[in-house]
Amino acid sequence: MGLTSSILMSPFHLLLQQLANGFTIGAIYALIALGYTMVYGVIQLINFAHGEVFMVGAYLALTALLILGVAQPLTGVALAGVLTACVALAVGGCGMLGWGIERLAYRPLRRAPRLTALITAIGVSFFLQNAVMLLYGATDRRFPAFIPARRWEWGGTSLTLLQVVIWLTSGVLMVALQMLVTSTKLGKAMRATAQDPNACRLLGIPVDRIIALTFALGSGFAAVGGMLFGLYYNTVNFHDGYLTGLKAFTAAVLGGIGNIPGAMVGGLVLGILEGLGAGYLSSQWKNVFAFVVLVGLLVFKPTGLLGERVADRA
Amino acid sequence: MSVRFLWALLLVLAGCGRQDPVVKLGFVAPLTGDQAPQGQSMRNGAVLALEQAKARGDILPGYRVELVELDDQHSPTQAVAAAKKLAADPDVVAVVGNLNSSCTMPASAIYYQARMLQITPVSSNPQISRQGFDTFYRTCATDDLQGPAAALFVARELGARRVFLLDDMTTYGRGLANEFKKKLRALGAQVLGHEGITQGDKDFTPLLTKIKALAPDLVYFAGMFPEGALLIKQRAEVGLGGRFMGGDGLFDPVLIELATPQAADGIYLTTIGSDVHRIPTAQEFVKAYEARYGSIGAYSAYAYEATSIALWAMQRAGTKDRRAVLAAMKTLHDYPGLFGLQNFDERGDSLIRDIGLFTVKNGKFVFLKTASWD
Repeated sequence: MGLTSSILMSPFHLLLQQLANGFTIGAIYALIALGYTMVYGVIQLINFAHGEVFMVGAYLALTALLILGVAQPLTGVALAGVLTACVALAVGGCGMLGWGIERLAYRPLRRAPRLTALITAIGVSFFLQNAVMLLYGATDRRFPAFIPARRWEWGGTSLTLLQVVIWLTSGVLMVALQMLVTSTKLGKAMRATAQDPNACRLLGIPVDRIIALTFALGSGFAAVGGMLFGLYYNTVNFHDGYLTGLKAFTAAVLGGIGNIPGAMVGGLVLGILEGLGAGYLSSQWKNVFAFVVLVGLLVFKPTGLLGERVADRA
Repeated sequence: MSVRFLWALLLVLAGCGRQDPVVKLGFVAPLTGDQAPQGQSMRNGAVLALEQAKARGDILPGYRVELVELDDQHSPTQAVAAAKKLAADPDVVAVVGNLNSSCTMPASAIYYQARMLQITPVSSNPQISRQGFDTFYRTCATDDLQGPAAALFVARELGARRVFLLDDMTTYGRGLANEFKKKLRALGAQVLGHEGITQGDKDFTPLLTKIKALAPDLVYFAGMFPEGALLIKQRAEVGLGGRFMGGDGLFDPVLIELATPQAADGIYLTTIGSDVHRIPTAQEFVKAYEARYGSIGAYSAYAYEATSIALWAMQRAGTKDRRAVLAAMKTLHDYPGLFGLQNFDERGDSLIRDIGLFTVKNGKFVFLKTASWD
């Protein structure tokens, strides 16, 4: 990088770049938002520990990289192998973690007032943060970039291979989830549990197992989000789950909590809003801008972008 | 069983009997969190200073001197809580800390009310010593020198005409950026924009993309290394050309590790003192530190210096009394410190005011020269 200044970008290419940037972080928000929205859809609980599950996912992927001794970008078979190992450890570990959290922290409180479960969720969140801090240390950890640093330029707008990987991964996972929910037996059981758990029990649907599976599935998505987050920013910290989790929760509410396509749309809209807010207004107002939009939207459409009015349960 | 218990009891009693009464020196810095690498290397410097002082002889005859280490997590709230805790402990007679100006500023008021000597090793915001607290001292240069020195280098030597400013909106970052901006404008360079970022944020690509569209000659960042590393790395990713410069908050090897050596190559930064490896009087300390803790941190030497001076004041006072320690500190003249003979002005600022200039080459900080500020 010499003294040569970068080329002046045209407003069009600048906008395109900001949209691409926002789309990338939005795709990660969307992956995490799915977990919030699925759990809420099934048992009407805001699982505030979900942001921490995402952070644990990033650390598990990092652990896989440390075990394999990866420090440099890889290609071909090595890349595929490392990617598989990372995903396996992160998704497997977080899936089990999500299942365990539900089993130990939420299931005993299923009949307790909703506030009790909410407080428990905050407790689980603190527990996970501190556990990771003790295990991995309190400082930022470098997350090795093992995806090759390819980039394409078009009139000043640039796109990296990693960004494309993030878009594709999120896209494929979301379509797969949507298919699972709409056209498999498990999906049908999940939707039935969301509608009326008592009627489900009468019909012989194993409600407890469905709820546990929902937690595991949502946690798995968060783990992929965590791995992509680590790859994109190359640092992870034990308190990364807090703000990112809050943003993903916002995305879920923005899209209409309980609604799976809503979480995807909410994540992308939030990412793009942040990008445009920081890019055209001021970066110090980045978070404010995103939350003001959320508040504004909720005033006029309390159910979120895609949320529908649901009858209160008796 | 009971015999063993009696033995244990005896040992405990014997241990108590030998204990001297204690006198404590406080130490506050971010010991956990993303700035912990700098906080820990300061702590190491302070511990080493205490051990060496003890080895030279009694600090306060009849007393055992202890270092009380508290963690402020670079949060002003935690810094105030730590200050109140120290002020409330009658055994604490002086304190070394904090790292961040945003922490040192509110804490200094509490130490002032408690009539307790506070020496900050590295908080460089000039406003802290302008509050008129006679309990406050600092062992580094201030940002009203660091900012102008950086501006002079940018305008005269790098020849940058169009500059974009970033800061982390803390007392330190905003203060330094404003000092830099004032001098830069006076030198006739153009400030294209000045924006704040939030500590703890990770995604700066929208901001850097916006800056890329303005094509500045240089981006200046006044803030700490965790955010600095992300800015440097994402700057390379969005393809933002031109130079990059920062202040002493970036001066930690972790910056290069997190930003990757390729992206960090060729950035510039100023420090609030000269290169400790080039100061003859500091070599003994550097050797002792590196033998024990490995490579030396950016602020280790300042923490060592501040701790040594606080211990000197305690020894000079000769009694466990905060006011006496403060009075002793005021008599300090030509203290033979790491950076040469230390003296402090009426505000408590050190008269040794070197600004160092560094660059990054092949993954390492390389000292260029001592910079001037006018």
